[in-house]
Amino acid sequence: YLHVALLFWQQVILCHCTLDDLRVDGRSCEDYRYVEVETDVVSNTSGSARVKLGHTDILVGIKAEIGRPKLDRPNKGCLEFFVDCSANATPEFEGRGGEELGTEIANALYRVYDNERSVDLKSLCITPMEHCWILYTDVLLLQCDGNLFDAISLAIKAALLTPSKIPKVQMMEDEEGTTEIELSDDPFDCVRLNTENVPCIVTLCKIGQRHVVDATLQEKACSVASLLVSVTSKGTITCVRKIGGGSLDPESIYEMIETGKRVGKALHAPLQDILNKEESLGKSREKVGFIG
Amino acid sequence: MAGIELLSDQGYRVDGRKPNELRKIQARMGVFSQADGSAYIEQGNTKALAVVYGPHEIRGSRSKSQHDRAIINCQYSMATFSTGERKRRPHGDRKSSEMTLHLKQTFEAAILTQLYPRSQIDIYVQILQADGGNYSACVNAATLAVVDAGIPLRDYVCACSAGFVEDTPLVDLSHLEESAGGTQLSLAVLPKAEHLALIEMDSRLHQDHLESMMDAATQACKDLYAVLDRVVRDHLQEVTTSIGE
Amino acid sequence: MAADLRLPAPRKRSTDLPKEQGKHLVAPGDVITTDSGFMRGHGTYMDDEKLVASVAGVVERVNKLICVRPLKTRFNGEVGDVVVGRITEVQQKRWKVETNSRLDSVLLLSSVNLPGGELRRRSSEDELAMREYLQEGDLISAEVQSVFADGALSLHTRSLKYGKLGQGVLVQVSPSLIKRRKTHFHNLTCGASIILGNNGYVWIYPTPTEQNEEAGGFVTNTEPVPLSDREVISRLRNCILALSMHKMLLYDTSILYSYESAFHHQIKDILKPEIMEEIIEETRRRILEQEG
Repeated sequence: YLHVALLFWQQVILCHCTLDDLRVDGRSCEDYRYVEVETDVVSNTSGSARVKLGHTDILVGIKAEIGRPKLDRPNKGCLEFFVDCSANATPEFEGRGGEELGTEIANALYRVYDNERSVDLKSLCITPMEHCWILYTDVLLLQCDGNLFDAISLAIKAALLTPSKIPKVQMMEDEEGTTEIELSDDPFDCVRLNTENVPCIVTLCKIGQRHVVDATLQEKACSVASLLVSVTSKGTITCVRKIGGGSLDPESIYEMIETGKRVGKALHAPLQDILNKEESLGKSREKVGFIG
Repeated sequence: MAGIELLSDQGYRVDGRKPNELRKIQARMGVFSQADGSAYIEQGNTKALAVVYGPHEIRGSRSKSQHDRAIINCQYSMATFSTGERKRRPHGDRKSSEMTLHLKQTFEAAILTQLYPRSQIDIYVQILQADGGNYSACVNAATLAVVDAGIPLRDYVCACSAGFVEDTPLVDLSHLEESAGGTQLSLAVLPKAEHLALIEMDSRLHQDHLESMMDAATQACKDLYAVLDRVVRDHLQEVTTSIGE
Repeated sequence: MAADLRLPAPRKRSTDLPKEQGKHLVAPGDVITTDSGFMRGHGTYMDDEKLVASVAGVVERVNKLICVRPLKTRFNGEVGDVVVGRITEVQQKRWKVETNSRLDSVLLLSSVNLPGGELRRRSSEDELAMREYLQEGDLISAEVQSVFADGALSLHTRSLKYGKLGQGVLVQVSPSLIKRRKTHFHNLTCGASIILGNNGYVWIYPTPTEQNEEAGGFVTNTEPVPLSDREVISRLRNCILALSMHKMLLYDTSILYSYESAFHHQIKDILKPEIMEEIIEETRRRILEQEG
């Protein structure tokens, strides 16, 4: 997507760097750049989060709406994904320029999240066959500096984890037998999603003979191919996908999955920690948002 | 007007403001590092982002290129989660194309485009949270972003909306006031010269009231100008201090 | 461990610095003077005999000329400026070069030294072989030779210090942060060299051992750069980023001071906000001391 024409020798230096486990910014191959996470950044949503990873800047808003369960899973709710690669990130995304990338990311997100193993979809069902919660998960890309998938997954998990404002509902039946949905009036009376198994995505970029996590745009430009691994807090792998062009040999895929599993598992605890910290601060938390 | 009383007997609006009072404004310049200029603004609960790329070589077909000035290219979009009811797409609908055109015209009036022949300036605005006055918030954010990008402007562009309830003009309408369905006026003003870069009014209004409504909206734009100017000067002070020398 | 997640810290305003008093700061629309004896420079326009600012920045007076220098802008090249740029297009008898200007710059075939002697005539073979010297994506250092009427820059590399760049790392900062000096090429004592392009592109590379005069700047060293040199380059890169994030002027001394202040930190830690602040404070203090 982002056109980064790289000088060939810059690539050489980058590849040499990964050999010695010293990347251009001083990180080792398994290091992330530091990540900033903030939740509840926009109202009008049931949950929202902003994640900054290097210059990559992601805003996720989740809206819960009542809809009809899908035919193939009548007793479950579902998640819908939309990724807006906005012109804010780069003029190339203007108009329909970001659609292709947006669709690619959204498709991957469906694979990773919209299933029973990752999210407790049953709890989103209100009445089988008739009503369920649909969580519209909208991702807004504000700046790209590589590693979009990992940043987006952190933001989604954070947005799901925060006390989602999905109100409790009751089904009322009147004399004529038609049902009506009644939302709970109490704003604090809401469903909190079980997010124990919500995975995080780790993207591994193969550069030269090695692979790195959290590749910057420059590193991505000289990588052969990338592998996306989604890992739960217990270290279970829920999804593996090769992304982008290029090909990988089986040997390095195994190695990359191993790394992904190790790194991905370790992402969950710190995320949970800071979200707990954020929640414990409650109202006293100084909102940073874009004002800073 | 059914249901809600937009102006109480004591002369206060639903959110406790006086008729000519703006909502609380917070803004910041330079929120993104990759763009040439950027800004963020909150007007009450309306939140908007603006970024500027350029001036740069014309992208795509060179036939758009103007030999004597820069072309201004805009896009208005709204995050799908920005509204009460989810939007299906962030841009490309009729409403946002209209806003895009407005924005382009507004800034063509303000930017000294003749200084940059054959080049292009991109202004992209994004509503993150919509609570009335979306267009105004975008114009104001875009002004700050253009200033941040160091692009020469004749003057600031300040935009504000106004409504008319019970013979009183209300300025800077919230979503609640907008959706009540009264007359609405949108103004974009170059405040120093008091030139209007945009004026738009929908639904009808007695001609006698037009002047008072225009006056109120213009005054609101000037109040807004004072706020934006403060933001620019604080930023200026902060950065020059930091650069030193 | 690999990931460092945190809540965003509220932005610190640099109130501890002494307020800048002596400078004339203006915003667009401000009247600078009504005296008609002045000449209108960049960042100003005339409105009924009044000289008005069109950008936000610092007023500069040189004799009768009044300019306003904005805080941040695209590169406004002047004859003699050193630039680092990227080749975007090979055309007939000229290359197009991206230099962070408002229009692409031009490097004429007649403005480069070709291998085999400085004063060789340009033949049609040279024209066909242009892509062998410089192709799309290559980085070059060059000097501004002239400015076209529409503001586009014409570059030349007719000196041994200019030409194609080899192995190294590019950092992009705002052009206004590059301090104008007699030379923009530095062999730093810490063991690497830098080119501080006036256009805000900074090139960091291993200090060359010898200059090959015959090559005319078109042959590049392909030997792997030793780890020790790469450490220096990475550290310098992060320091330059830190200086630019804190809006400090870049020149040999400020870079060297920040490098020394960062020396006892791990390279990757330099970009963490709290460590960056510490380094910047130390650098500021040393610059003030040196200036007396």
